[in-house]
Order: sequence, then structure tokens, then C-alpha cells
Amino acid sequence: MSRSELSVSRWLEAHTDRGAGLTTLPRNAILTDIVGNGDYHLVITDLKLDNDTKSRLKVYKGTLMTHDQALSNTPNSVISFYADLNEPRIPVVGVACGSELFLYKNLKPFYKCKVPSCPLSEQESELWKTLMEKQDFNSEDIIKELKKIPFSLLSSRSQHILNLESPLKIEEYIRKYINSMPTKENVITCMSTIEKTTHDKYSVNCPIIGTEFGNIYILDPQNFSILHQANTCNVKATPFIIECSGLYDIEFRIIVACREGYICILRKGWLEGKSLIQITNDIVDMVLIPGDNFITVATADKGLHCYTKRGQKLWSATTTNSITCLCLVPLDHINMYMVAVGMKNGLIHLYHGRHLTDFTVAPDTPSVIVFGPVGQEENVMVIVTMGGTISFKILKRTADFSNRNHESVPVLQGKPLPLPKRSKLFLEQSLRERQSAVEIHQTFQQDLLRLRLTTARALVQNLSDQSGVGNEKENIKLSAQVLGLGPKFTVILTLENINPNKVLTGLSVTFHSNPIFYTLTTYIITVPLIPPSLSYKMETRVQETMSETSSETSVAELEPAGVKVIRVFVTRYDHPRPILAATINMPPTEFMV
Amino acid sequence: MGLFQKLVSFLGVGRKEVNVLVVGLNNSGKSTVVNNFKSDDDKVTDIVPTVGFSVERFQKQNLAFTAFDMSGHGRYRDLWEHYYKDCHGIIFVIDSSDRLRLVVVKEELDLLLQHPDICQKKIPILFFANKMDCKEALSSVKIAAALGLDKIMDKPWHISASNALTGEGLQEGVEWLTQQIRELLSVKN
Repeated sequence: MSRSELSVSRWLEAHTDRGAGLTTLPRNAILTDIVGNGDYHLVITDLKLDNDTKSRLKVYKGTLMTHDQALSNTPNSVISFYADLNEPRIPVVGVACGSELFLYKNLKPFYKCKVPSCPLSEQESELWKTLMEKQDFNSEDIIKELKKIPFSLLSSRSQHILNLESPLKIEEYIRKYINSMPTKENVITCMSTIEKTTHDKYSVNCPIIGTEFGNIYILDPQNFSILHQANTCNVKATPFIIECSGLYDIEFRIIVACREGYICILRKGWLEGKSLIQITNDIVDMVLIPGDNFITVATADKGLHCYTKRGQKLWSATTTNSITCLCLVPLDHINMYMVAVGMKNGLIHLYHGRHLTDFTVAPDTPSVIVFGPVGQEENVMVIVTMGGTISFKILKRTADFSNRNHESVPVLQGKPLPLPKRSKLFLEQSLRERQSAVEIHQTFQQDLLRLRLTTARALVQNLSDQSGVGNEKENIKLSAQVLGLGPKFTVILTLENINPNKVLTGLSVTFHSNPIFYTLTTYIITVPLIPPSLSYKMETRVQETMSETSSETSVAELEPAGVKVIRVFVTRYDHPRPILAATINMPPTEFMV
Repeated sequence: MGLFQKLVSFLGVGRKEVNVLVVGLNNSGKSTVVNNFKSDDDKVTDIVPTVGFSVERFQKQNLAFTAFDMSGHGRYRDLWEHYYKDCHGIIFVIDSSDRLRLVVVKEELDLLLQHPDICQKKIPILFFANKMDCKEALSSVKIAAALGLDKIMDKPWHISASNALTGEGLQEGVEWLTQQIRELLSVKN
């Protein structure tokens, strides 16, 4: 049985459709019981960013797309929640497009609510008011006026004017809209839901909306009026992921990830959120682990970080590839929560806490991962990739995530370093360092200079001595060996190419000796090509001339030390100067008695 | 069948008790299939998801069947293997309209075939490609190919498309199963 085999994947490849052509973003796919009969469907938005095609809302029943309808604007996120207790329990699907939230029941639109628009800045409203009154204007003056106001604070109409090129077009545009005041749309950037009174699969949920200007709205699930309104943070922060825990009626925490790198917390009754964590890198995705309420954040530098609900960092891990999305994988039957981490190139890692417990592979980089029930199956992972592929993976019933394999994963962080206790010696030393810092530093500098001097001296010494041993510039090394007792000797020369990359060519070895003492078999040897890091051996036979006269007459020609020598020169064909020269001290012939 | 045996079976002397196991994923129609085999007075009108398992008895061609109608829900599938030991035949019901879970069916079938109590024995397996009336239903040939049934060499198997609501295709399948079990028993005797 494959139950205990770890090599076998825990996931069944149920279905992959490479031709689905879906373009979607995180938080744009949900699994919900759309008809209310326990058959879970995938509701997903298909983004079309061209001007002439509209984005679509698609519904998959199992592996088949059963529903496809156009959306009025580019969707931002999709939620589903139970709005009432009426039987049969049919959830409401909410799709945020621009500053509007469209609500569907049974896949039919039934309500639209609009986020209140922002007040215009004083200067801008003044400008438009005067325009309305006068009905006459100079477009250049208007441009000048508008440019005084920060671009991000302008209404979209004024922004559009600044982006227009020709003054003619500007005039035409202003004429068209001169009789109405512009509005500053508060675009929805993210959504979530929070349970109202009970923790339950079918409990009533309130939608939560985050907007471009940092407002958080909690809506009433029945009439969609604003129950509570708050700001994300005391500084300018644009929320882009909202996660929440708790119950709206009792106590709740809303964790908001902002584009500026803040993670803010908002609790019941607060009118303004508090910055909990500040991350220097860009936040890619965030999930809240139920139970402990740990915040798991993926950053753009391949980092996966986990914080407690109070903002203390618990652990960090580095993934192999850049993270594109996260997804909570709750496994109710074994009471375990995991986080699926989708990465570039299609790898999906599953983390349980800081431990990497499992992995699976998508056809290419996943853009959205959702996990939950699909149709009759409970544990299904749906992956939509950047390439538009939709892929369904089913977790095996026999999948075993027990702790056994955790031991093999090294614990990277968490444990403090095993620092020894501060001893008396350490304290004295640190005290001394503090008291006489200048002297210690000067002594250190002196020693350092001395060390450098010694090194330089040794180098000079070496360079002057080394002529016979090797040539660093040419990267060759020569060694000689004299075999024999005499009067016949064999000299073995080894020429080594030290350069690991380049070959040695065009070398020859010349022997030089006093012909009175020695006769050699060869005086010039042509060295063939020596490959990098290899050596070439050559030998020559030496015969000592044993004439009586020579030993007497040529005493003056002996080397100062009184030894006979043979000189070796390594030369390059085209160079008159030898690149290496060495002197071989020949041993005196030991006469047999 | 000899004249004597015919006589014996006519008199009902040779009636045998056989156990069959009805397995398959949840919502595939196992209880509905079993309900169809029962005599008219025992039939139930409302079929609810089985919890654990239920035991049903019915007769076919002088064989007294005891059907163990197992629950197909994920958390009850562990129970199946406890009944492998004493069964004479297996009825595997497949929802042919559920394309998504065909891999799950294959996984469960492989687990069943690899079980030590099953892989040693020559148990006939009857597959019902149920819900053939659904519009997105796969044909029995396609299902057989998807499940790799052609690789089952050591056991007799048969697949028939069925509609458990109307009873279509069920008789044909169960007749095959009865014949197989009869042959098996006669070999043993």
C-alpha cells in the first residue's frame, strides 16, 4: 500500500485544461455552494485588460464551465457569504468592480452598492465651481491651477485633463463636463468577509471592503448599508489584502496588508487601524492561520515570514523561487492548517508552520491557488496559472502528514544561539576595552603594519631566490632530479604548467655545462605542448669526463663553492631572454674503492 | 447444467448464501442500485447518504445475496477493507458524470485491488457506470479505459452502463455476477 510511502505524491491529478485561457489574480477565485445543494462550484473572474473586451465572471461545476457572464468593469476581488438564514441556504456572491460591489444570488445580479466617494480637495472644487459659474475658461490657466494640486489627490476627471495632449482636446473635454462637479471615486482594492454572530459553516457573514484611499467599510449583510467605517492607518496606506478573525458582534481583528509595506490591525470599535508590522520588501500575499491567528506573509524577495497576532516575528524561511501567491490549506479531518506557496516555474510548496511538508507541481507559474471542496470532493486544490491553465488536484484520502518526516527538515531559526554566560573575564576585558580603546587600537595598527612589512620582505626574498624554481608570470615550474652515483648520471627535469586554464607552447630547454667536466647526450630539448595543470618530464644522460688533467687544471673554473654545476634555461622560441633559469648542483662522483 | 442439477436448483435445495460488497464513492448511487435489487415490498422511496454501512438481502437465480452497502464518504472508506475477507463478489459503482473524481475512483480501486485479502483471490468485480442518463456522463468504455480495467488480469470483471433510478442495465450486470459466483462456487465444490 502506498499509504506510508513518501515518494508517492499525496495529490491526484484530477484534471488539467491548458486551453482554459483564464487570466486572473489572487482573491479572484472562490469555491462556493452556489446553488445551495452541497455541490461546490468554482467562481472565478477572467480579467480582460483590453479596452474592447469585457472581463467575465465564470463558474465551473466540477471540471466544466457552466456559466459565463460579462462584468461591467475590471473585477478586483470576489467573495461569497451567507446573507440570511432563509432555507435553502444560498450564498451571495460579491464581485468588486471599480468603486462598486455587485451582488449575485443564484448567479443573477440582485444588488449593487457603491462605496461613498471622497470629498474633493478645496482648490479643485473651487476651480470647478468657478468654471460652472463662468462657463468660460482658458485651458492653459486651468492646467496651471491643476498642476498646483498633488496629482494623487485629484479627481479622475482632472487627472484625465492633465493627461490630454492638445489644448483643443482639453477644451472639448472641459466643455463636455462643465456643468457637473467631478467626483473622486473611491476604488475598492480588496474585500473579505467576517462572521457576524456565530462560527459556523453556514453562518451569516458581513462583507468588508478596503478602498484606494485607505478606508475600511464593514457592510450589513442584509441591506448592505455601512455598519462600521474606519481608516486603515494613521499614515497613508492603501490596503490590498484583508484577512479577519473573530465575530463582528463580539470581538474581531481585521489584519490589513498595505501596498506601502505596512500590516495594520483594526479591532472592534476602532476608527483607525494601528500599524502592527512594517516590512521593507514588497508584500506579495498574506494569509491568516486560524486558531493561533498567526500572520504568514510572502515578500517579493522569496521570503516567507510568520508573525504572531501581536506582530512579533516567529520565523522566516527563504523559498527557492519567487512567490506568486499563497493559499490556506485547512485539513479539518486531521485538524491541521497548511499554507500552499505558489512559486515561479510552477512549484507549489506546502508549509506546516515553518516546516516544508509537501510539494506539488503546476504546469507553469500559478497566479491563483484555492483549496476547498469542489463538487462532492472535499479537499481539492484548484490552480490557475499565468498561462491560463486551470488544474484540479485532489488530496488523497490516505495522505499522511504526520510529524515523522519533520525531523529531516533542519530547523533554521527560532532557537537562540547557544551563547555562553558572561564570565568575569569577559566583563574585565570589555571594561579594559572601554577604558583604553585608543591604545588598543594603536597597538593593533602597529602590529598590522609590522605584519604587512614582514610579508613584503618575505615576498621580496622569495622572488630573488626563486629564479631556479619557477616563474610566476609564465606560470611554469621546474624541478630537477639527479640520479646515479657517477660518473654516469641521469638528470630528470620536470616542467610543470601551473596555469589551470592556458596551455604552454613553444618552449625549449637548453643545458649548459662546462665541457671539460661533463658531456651530455642532449643539449637542447624541444618541449611539446603542456596542457593546463599537467607536467612534462624529460631526461638527459650526463657523463663526467674523468681525465686527470681536467680535474687539476680547471680548479679555477669551478663554482665558488667548489661544486660542479649544470645550468638549465627554459626559453621561448622567439625570445632571446630565458623565462626560467636554474642551476643544478651535481654531486661529486663517488669512486668505488 | 445437468438435468439433476436443474432439478436440484428448481427445488431450491442447492440454494447458496453469497456475500457481495457494494462499494464506490459517495453520491455514486450504491444504495439506489441495491434498492433496485430488492423485492418490491422492501423498496424504499427516499434514499439518504449511507452512514457506515447497511446490510440488504435479496435473491437472484437461487442465490441468496447479502449485500453490504458501504458508505462511500471519505471518512468511512476505511471500513471497506474489513469486509473484503468474506465476500464472494464486489459491485463497484461509479458516477460516470463526475469527471473530476475519476482519479479518486481509480485510486480507491487500486487500493482495493492491492489489498492482501483481494489480490490473492479470484473475486469477480462488477462495475456499474451509473448515471448514464446524465448529459455529461462518460461512456462505460471510456471509464474502463480511464480506470485501466484492462490491466486486471487475474480477476473476472465486467462493466455495464446503468441508470439506477430506472433500473436500466442493472439486470444484465447482476446476471453476469451471479453466473461468475456460481462458477466459482462449483469449482470450489
